[in-house]
Amino acid sequence: MRAGVILKIRANTSRTRASVAALFVIVMIATGFAMAAAPSAARAESLAGTVIFNTANLRYDMDGGTRSVTSNTVTLIVAERLDTRLVREGQGVITVASPPALPTIIPFVLTNADNGTESFVLATSISSPAMTLRTLAIDADGNGRYDPAIDLPPVDATVPALAPGQSITVFAVLVGTAEQSVADATLTMTARALTGSGVPGSGYAGRGDGGGDAVVGPTGATASVVVPLASARAGPALIKSQSVRAADGSQNAVRDSVITYTLEARFTDAVTGARIADPIPAGTVFVPGSLTLDGALLSDAADGDAGRFDATGGAPADGAQGPGIAVALGQVAAASVHTVQFKAKIQ
Amino acid sequence: MITRPMIAAVLAATAAAASAAAGPLQVTSSILVESRAAAADGTTRIALVKPSKVTPGDKVIFVLAYRNTGTQPLSNVVLDNPLPRQIAYRSANPGSPAPDVSVDGKTFGSLATLRVRSLDGSTRPASPNDVTSVRWRLASPLAAGSQGQFAFQAVLK
Repeated sequence: MRAGVILKIRANTSRTRASVAALFVIVMIATGFAMAAAPSAARAESLAGTVIFNTANLRYDMDGGTRSVTSNTVTLIVAERLDTRLVREGQGVITVASPPALPTIIPFVLTNADNGTESFVLATSISSPAMTLRTLAIDADGNGRYDPAIDLPPVDATVPALAPGQSITVFAVLVGTAEQSVADATLTMTARALTGSGVPGSGYAGRGDGGGDAVVGPTGATASVVVPLASARAGPALIKSQSVRAADGSQNAVRDSVITYTLEARFTDAVTGARIADPIPAGTVFVPGSLTLDGALLSDAADGDAGRFDATGGAPADGAQGPGIAVALGQVAAASVHTVQFKAKIQ
Repeated sequence: MITRPMIAAVLAATAAAASAAAGPLQVTSSILVESRAAAADGTTRIALVKPSKVTPGDKVIFVLAYRNTGTQPLSNVVLDNPLPRQIAYRSANPGSPAPDVSVDGKTFGSLATLRVRSLDGSTRPASPNDVTSVRWRLASPLAAGSQGQFAFQAVLK
């Protein structure tokens, strides 16, 4: 049991869910363009399995006439060269939280980087027991966003065959396991061509497209990405989001628009004395009677219920620096979620 | 130092089936690749071998071997080889006479004499990548029982 937990956020430092979502949309669109562009880019290279025929012609004079003859036709099957490219979307250290916090999604882009149609085998390893791989998933609908209902794990950790130059997004879904915090963990993701990988130039007779040979290309047909990880300290987490509604019904943040703030407190362990405090953002005023806890209205006064609106902000114990709301959650059960909402009007 | 053994010796072991066409003049087409091996005397020896693992960018050697199997000389012998679409011409193979080349399949000459017409009507000097066909002419009649071969180097696109 942990006691006396106080959750505080400041409006100017909290990134809202809305803006995070917008960021995802931009990344997704950029990825979509890249994926669309790759296969359509003109490939000057001969595709694996292409059969090249060669026949020569001969002409000569004999008995006063010109005769012609053709040679045998010799064939050459273009071998499949095996090359793999794997890059991570994004950069920096990824923080992995423990449940009930949401799993951490790390996207990778896997590219079949050479001239054959090829499948790829994925392998992952995590350097710390503080976090674990829940699943890998293939971005089946290509929208760059992990959707567990659509984006399914690859069978036998093998990505279905990709056309030459084709890319797909693979998600690694991680969850934290332990309470202690780890700062220097890593996730290593490796992709290798199913036909074979290893020393460039290594051959696999008859294993290429169209019955031709396969040969390991300059990448060794394998690619790895190491993602630095840190585990979030297991414990309470507070997620703040907002929605704006103007007088005209739009979502424009103009004067007199009403912002609804949602504070979602997620607890891993049972605690006592949990409080949520949030200052009213500068430039806005609290809408009286708008404070709720888990959907139930709380009065603004410091009275018998759990919440209050403090117009003066004179409660240094809460760290408040101006007008703000405060909700006492008191005794909180393990693995529970509580939601506080309030409204503020833009001045 | 690099030495090149007689191609014919290699061909004997690796050539595809000879032309099925009946007649006094036969021609056999082969596609080979170079195999380099260090010899005991420290030189590198290049052999032409049957191709395997040929991937885009690799050098391939086209060999055309001809033979007069008849009893009389044959005159005005012309041998031409339209290039497969996936093949980019590079040069005559060392030891082989240089072919005349063509960028349109009609006009043949040395590469330096050929020009390529662009879509806008202007022309530019032809490059090996523009070559679509190669051709050799025998200057003198081919005696009964004699044989020879031409070879050129190319790159798989």
